[in-house]
Amino acid sequence: MDYLLRHPNMTMISRLLFGPFRPSIEALRPVLYRIAYAWCHDAALADDLVQDTLSKAWARRAQLRDEASLKAWMVSIMNHCWLDHLRSRRDFDDVEAWEDILESGAESPEACCNREQVIACVRLAVSRLPLGQRQVLTLVDLEEFGYAEVARILDIPVGTVMSRLSRARASLKSLLEPAAQQSAAQPLLRRVK
Amino acid sequence: MNSVVSDETLHAFVDGELDVSESEKLIAQMRDEKELAQRVCGIRSLQSMVRLAYAEPPVASGRKRHAASGRVVMQRCAFGCLVLLAGLSGGWALRGLESNAVVAAPSTFPGGYQTVSLGRVADPNRVMLHLDSADPGRMEAALDRAEQLLDEADRQGRTIQLEVVTNSHGINLMRAGVSPHAARIARMTQRHANLHLVACSQTIARFTGQGQKVELLPAAKVAPTAIGEIVTRLQQGWTYVRV
Repeated sequence: MDYLLRHPNMTMISRLLFGPFRPSIEALRPVLYRIAYAWCHDAALADDLVQDTLSKAWARRAQLRDEASLKAWMVSIMNHCWLDHLRSRRDFDDVEAWEDILESGAESPEACCNREQVIACVRLAVSRLPLGQRQVLTLVDLEEFGYAEVARILDIPVGTVMSRLSRARASLKSLLEPAAQQSAAQPLLRRVK
Repeated sequence: MNSVVSDETLHAFVDGELDVSESEKLIAQMRDEKELAQRVCGIRSLQSMVRLAYAEPPVASGRKRHAASGRVVMQRCAFGCLVLLAGLSGGWALRGLESNAVVAAPSTFPGGYQTVSLGRVADPNRVMLHLDSADPGRMEAALDRAEQLLDEADRQGRTIQLEVVTNSHGINLMRAGVSPHAARIARMTQRHANLHLVACSQTIARFTGQGQKVELLPAAKVAPTAIGEIVTRLQQGWTYVRV
């Protein structure tokens, strides 16, 4: 009985003292920033999102049950920050800027072979995906989260994760066809002769 | 042929979501159907393009940093407070250990010296004596205490490890040409191979910086810091006695 009474207390104290300390939360900043940027394609906004996420994670650190899932937990917090942000401002004033780049990229798809342009083209294509697809795609491709983890993070069924991913990759493929063909063609060259 | 394997399945395969048998089946199928292999290849190259695109996301310009700075300061303050709290509670916890240990092993350490150990019971066979003062009485007391513990262990047939750790002015005990007990220490270390003398190298550096030449007795060894040595020994289960 004594042990039972004492045990949860000790865990609580050790969690408080040694739990997800600021450094381990801070260490995820680059990871979060990459995801945030892939979601919103705006460096300043991504920075704000990450900052928001870090302070919220710190404030709610007691809620984290399993420290192994720290990253997924923080990404799900960031998802909420992102959705809050979208709700608070429904106008996307940056869309026009993106359309400019879109056109400049679309005019010369063959130029996509150069590294910087591939990067610009892919970012552009990703930014044009519907938000839900964009989130699933970036979490799976950039951070290699499992489907079940993505489902938990975004609070959607696994089936939805799979269908969104499938649609996202299909649209990316059609948007990036020239560049994708170029890189996909390489291993096939041997067969063609 | 395309319709046989759905896009979803191929994506799951590429993302490592299929189980081993499903994956193996698909790999076998890919050997026969080049088109299938090509589709997988296409997904992989898309994936690597996405990774490349966000490998180095552009960094936000300085303008937003200012907005966050107030919050950052608050957070740092909060963190500072937490560290302080942790220190205070750590001290409080150690205080508890100290009194526990005294209760646990009053007979081993007579003479009113308080002991600290992280174990439930103070280990009488691994003891460090900490001296941080050049007070002649305390220097002598440290050596008396060491000799007493060593002799007692010898009499009882126990193997004891004893370490005398010095820092600050306590280091004078181990300085060649300064120590008033050089001869006694030499005698003691000759008699007891299990007696170790450790001086804090930070203290040595500080004394050297003040223009004093610090030479240690041949028996004395150096630890990076006395506090580090003490903490390490405590974690290893040693008992700490401050002289």
